[in-house]
Amino acid sequence: MPNRIIKWIDHRFPLTSFIKHELTGYPTPRNLSYWWNFGFLAGFVLMLQVATGLFLAMHYKPDASMAFDSIQHIMRDVNYGWLLRYMHSTGASAFFLVIYIHMARTLYYGSYRAPRELMWWTGQGLLLLLMATAFMGYLLPWGQMSFWGATVITNLFRATPFIGDEVVVWLRGDYAVGDDTLTRFFALHYLFPFLIIGAVVVHLVALHTVRSSNPSGIDLADKDNIPFHPYYTIKDFYGLGVFMIVYFLVVFFFPHSVLEPANNIPANPMVTPDHIVPEWYFLPFYAILRSVPNMVGGVVAMGLSVMIFAFMPFLDRSRIPGGAHYRPVFRLLFYIFILDILVLGYVGYVLPTSQTIAIGQVATIIYFMTFSILPFVSKAEDKWLFKRGLPPKILALIASEEEEKRKRSLR
Amino acid sequence: MNKMIVFFALFACGFPASADEVKLTKFQIDTSVLAVERGVDAFMNACHGCHGLKYVHYRDLASFGIDKDKIASWRGDSTLDSAMSSLISDEAALQSFGIVPPDLSMIIRAREGGAGYVYSYLIGYYQTTDGKTGNHFFPLTKMPDALDISSATDPAKRSDLQGKAHDIVSFLAWAADPHEAERKTLGYYVIAYLILLTILLYNVKLDVWSKLRL
Repeated sequence: MPNRIIKWIDHRFPLTSFIKHELTGYPTPRNLSYWWNFGFLAGFVLMLQVATGLFLAMHYKPDASMAFDSIQHIMRDVNYGWLLRYMHSTGASAFFLVIYIHMARTLYYGSYRAPRELMWWTGQGLLLLLMATAFMGYLLPWGQMSFWGATVITNLFRATPFIGDEVVVWLRGDYAVGDDTLTRFFALHYLFPFLIIGAVVVHLVALHTVRSSNPSGIDLADKDNIPFHPYYTIKDFYGLGVFMIVYFLVVFFFPHSVLEPANNIPANPMVTPDHIVPEWYFLPFYAILRSVPNMVGGVVAMGLSVMIFAFMPFLDRSRIPGGAHYRPVFRLLFYIFILDILVLGYVGYVLPTSQTIAIGQVATIIYFMTFSILPFVSKAEDKWLFKRGLPPKILALIASEEEEKRKRSLR
Repeated sequence: MNKMIVFFALFACGFPASADEVKLTKFQIDTSVLAVERGVDAFMNACHGCHGLKYVHYRDLASFGIDKDKIASWRGDSTLDSAMSSLISDEAALQSFGIVPPDLSMIIRAREGGAGYVYSYLIGYYQTTDGKTGNHFFPLTKMPDALDISSATDPAKRSDLQGKAHDIVSFLAWAADPHEAERKTLGYYVIAYLILLTILLYNVKLDVWSKLRL
């Protein structure tokens, strides 16, 4: 009976062939490390955010006079409302953590390189959508930090040439952040996840065209590929288990670590908080914004600091396959860059003093420097490595892959 | 250049001021029903005249397990379903104090330092030389020394008042996060389940991948 149903469906819809093509027969490199788990985790957190967000929206009131109260209603009176909200607020941080690790893996192993440029660029688009969604979601609790964060960030659009002031009013729906801003941010916060889902589908279609990269940086021959299911489904589920332990530890025991105390005070346009800080995932970019003394310059630098990742496929000019694994100089550059981001994050968090401003400016210069020297460094490193001779391990890998390819073409 | 000198001088002045800041007292929240019950009692006497708890209802106290008769004595004519709002209107408070006393439902969660801050603030009152009261932790506060701790010189009396402040803060901590106990209990079960599940998944993973090595 089940066979007949599947036959009936297959006649009308490519169910079996889809499963075979994308899961049970989808070839995946056998040497992927656990760093390759984070794409799946990002997809899982996305679903988690959509699910918890849906139920939160059933109890939330997007109205400036009711929003704060409705959050308290969710936290106190709705059955397990506190759990839904803590899962959603912790989920936002988890999403960024997973995405940043996913990006760091891509940078380290050079997964952005040909033929995976479109994966990298759709990923860049996803990052922007995620940032916009998180930013708008943060306004919804209508606390002090919600209000002032939104005020500061929408204010940055004054840097738009000629029509700056009009753009700010257009975004806010009013001269200041208020009820109109809240309702439109709520509407868009509900819409954007679906745009993200659409972009994820594009990301995955591109992935299944070019296939996963792997630590060696070489496209492996058929013999070194294994079907995604069951090998990577179980590996992803195991990774998911580890992720959920960490995630639920925060949800149940430290949920306030991702919530700013000032956001438990209702929004008040008359009182500015002593210290307006964005969420941790925006801190490095915020530090870059503050490091440029001129407002327009700061906005441009901040925008560029996010968008500059898109240039990576052009900036990396090495002929050695992969990323940092076989390239010591590139690896050093990668670690300096990660360290630099952490320094920027710290600078973005503390109250600005003359020292932290100076540190932030140096870190900002290093941030952009790593990208701008990469073409020259990667070229020079390439020459040096070839002259010195590549490690025998990678030569063997390249040779075996070449052989496999030749055999395949002979057949 | 002059601007730079002023800029740096301002920061130089800023540093000793922050070093002068008084240290918060370490605070251990007492989550027991009895402590919270004593806390409500002290709160109703010392705080409720001016401060409300608009997100806390009398029935919440009952469901937490606080004595029904006690609740009845606190709520007076108001129903079990009504919020623990303050007894003074905003206008009257504004007239007497020059400020509307903040609602305290979320105060523990709304201050950097949480319970430790509120406790230190409550016991941080002292007599100034001109006979007025000051506060170490919030010098600009407009709240009078509600517990009268600044005039308590007798150590026994002082520790009694500190105990009272401790109970009030324990109650306010519960008020800001009434599901904390439930959250943590559930958390232990969830984490235990997930650890078990993850161990099983890891073994399945090893099993599936072992076929590959052959």
